[in-house]
Amino acid sequence: MKINFLKLGTILGLIIFGLVLWGCGESRSPFAGTYRSVETFAGKNYVELDLKEDGKGTWTVAGKSTDFTWVVNDGKVWIYTKSGAILIATPTEGGKVLSLDMTGDWHPGCPPNACTTFKRVQTGG
Amino acid sequence: MEDKRKPPSAEETGGLKLCELGQEVVISAGSRVVSQGETPEFFYVIQSGRLRVFRETADGIQTNLTELGAGAYFGEVALVTGQPRSASVEALTEARLIKVSQVEFDRLLDQNPKLARHIINQLATWLVTGDSRLEKEVVHQVKLRQISWFDYALMIGLSIALGLVFNIYNDNKIPLIYGWGEKDNIPEISLQQAREDYQKNQAIFVDARKSAFYDQKHIKGTFFNLPLILTDMMYPMFQFTLEQTPGAKDKTIIVYGGSFSRRFDVELARFLKNKGLEKVAVLKDYSGWENAFPLEEKPPKEAASISLGLAGLLEWLPLSIFVLILIPPIRRSPYLSAACRLLLGVIFIAFALSKILRPAVFALNTVDYGMMPAWGVNLWALALPWAELVVGLFLVLGIRTRAAATLIGAMEVTFIIGLVWAILHHLPINCGCVGEVGEPVNWLKVLKNTGALVMTIQIFLYDRFFVLDRGGFILRDRKI
Repeated sequence: MKINFLKLGTILGLIIFGLVLWGCGESRSPFAGTYRSVETFAGKNYVELDLKEDGKGTWTVAGKSTDFTWVVNDGKVWIYTKSGAILIATPTEGGKVLSLDMTGDWHPGCPPNACTTFKRVQTGG
Repeated sequence: MEDKRKPPSAEETGGLKLCELGQEVVISAGSRVVSQGETPEFFYVIQSGRLRVFRETADGIQTNLTELGAGAYFGEVALVTGQPRSASVEALTEARLIKVSQVEFDRLLDQNPKLARHIINQLATWLVTGDSRLEKEVVHQVKLRQISWFDYALMIGLSIALGLVFNIYNDNKIPLIYGWGEKDNIPEISLQQAREDYQKNQAIFVDARKSAFYDQKHIKGTFFNLPLILTDMMYPMFQFTLEQTPGAKDKTIIVYGGSFSRRFDVELARFLKNKGLEKVAVLKDYSGWENAFPLEEKPPKEAASISLGLAGLLEWLPLSIFVLILIPPIRRSPYLSAACRLLLGVIFIAFALSKILRPAVFALNTVDYGMMPAWGVNLWALALPWAELVVGLFLVLGIRTRAAATLIGAMEVTFIIGLVWAILHHLPINCGCVGEVGEPVNWLKVLKNTGALVMTIQIFLYDRFFVLDRGGFILRDRKI
């Protein structure tokens, strides 16, 4: 039987394209912005979390910054550190508040003893 | 194949006309005239219509032999040989046939040497072309079943090369080996000395492992759990706690938590030194702390995990193989092989894509199992996702499928060993199979992977459709 390689290639291309898109995550816009921790981190400084719309982000505490990347997955903000850790932030109040799980163990919720709450101070990024 | 068979002329039949001998019958489209294996009774000459001649295996796989049209004949082979019918004939359109009985056919042959010679000539031609076809098919099958070392070298080499090259340009690149070439100036302290310091309260202990491991078991009275992977973010808290604890700054900081797969302790100690802390040391016997110090332990609990989404749903399908292999015709079906290839291919491609961009995450997942030597972790984390992608694509596209199935089988065996190891050692981890998310490590996960392993065996043994082999693309069976 003759095979139309063009059609076959198109179908496979679409499958792979779909898989790639599927892996890209959701729109970051609703959560882009600058957040500040509700309580002081380490007892003396607030933490600033800057989520830029291009997927880059900065964690700043006591004047020192650490870069990371972030995506939105299933309505939650996933922060990827350079060292391979993943921190998951659960948004509430329409994205104005982020509860960040600091265990790095991918808890779907936010364990009370390792949860840092942030409030948005500026939208966009 | 063009049919070359023409009905014997009146001259060839010695003046006897077939239409005078036989009986005219009309066959509706789709009806079967003769069936493979039945005892022969008639010889047929086609007056009008088209018929299909085919063979059929017990599994229901049909091989089309030829199509016959007006003027052609069939059924003579079984009458001459006295054997059961060698093929089946089915009407493709309504057909009008002359049906000649065995007795009439024998009388025709007895009285007409020319007709007999014509049929012998025809049978001999079939024999010769049949041999040629058989040889061609055998060669094709041999090529199809061949596996060469080149196939494995191609897939493994391609995966390693792609992994290494991609890592150069990846924003989230990782070193090939952690700590490679770094000057190691971290003092080591013996277990005995550390124990004395512990008892005299002259040292503080810092655990460098992930919090799940720390929660499960740690040295009683550990000062701080500072997971290496979160040091950038959590160091200010550690520093603050250190400053707020009287006398802590003057004590030796003993970092522990290294493993066979990664020396978290050494890396964290190095980080603390770089931050200006002078009195930092690691344990000489990095894994000996569990037996040398009093411990705080909690019963093992299932690690946090997140659903794998679509890939996780697809992962249930391999379980069906345990039912399908119980049905012999399905077990051997090449269509099942094709379905297995598509399923495994899509799962592996999806899993690979989720890991390729962030090798550091997958490297940490690998470290969690504690089975891979430290020097191999990052190489594994760089190459394996690409290997999954390459073999997944090869399976879907039908390229070197047996070799691809072997490699996926080998991966599945590795995953199963890892999962069983994690279960038996109560490791607080999830499977780490899809990059950033993971399913719980449990026996169900082992069963899913075993199903996938059985699928690879089925592919290895029976795959032959929709493949691009050395002889070209085969959509289904070849027409002969």
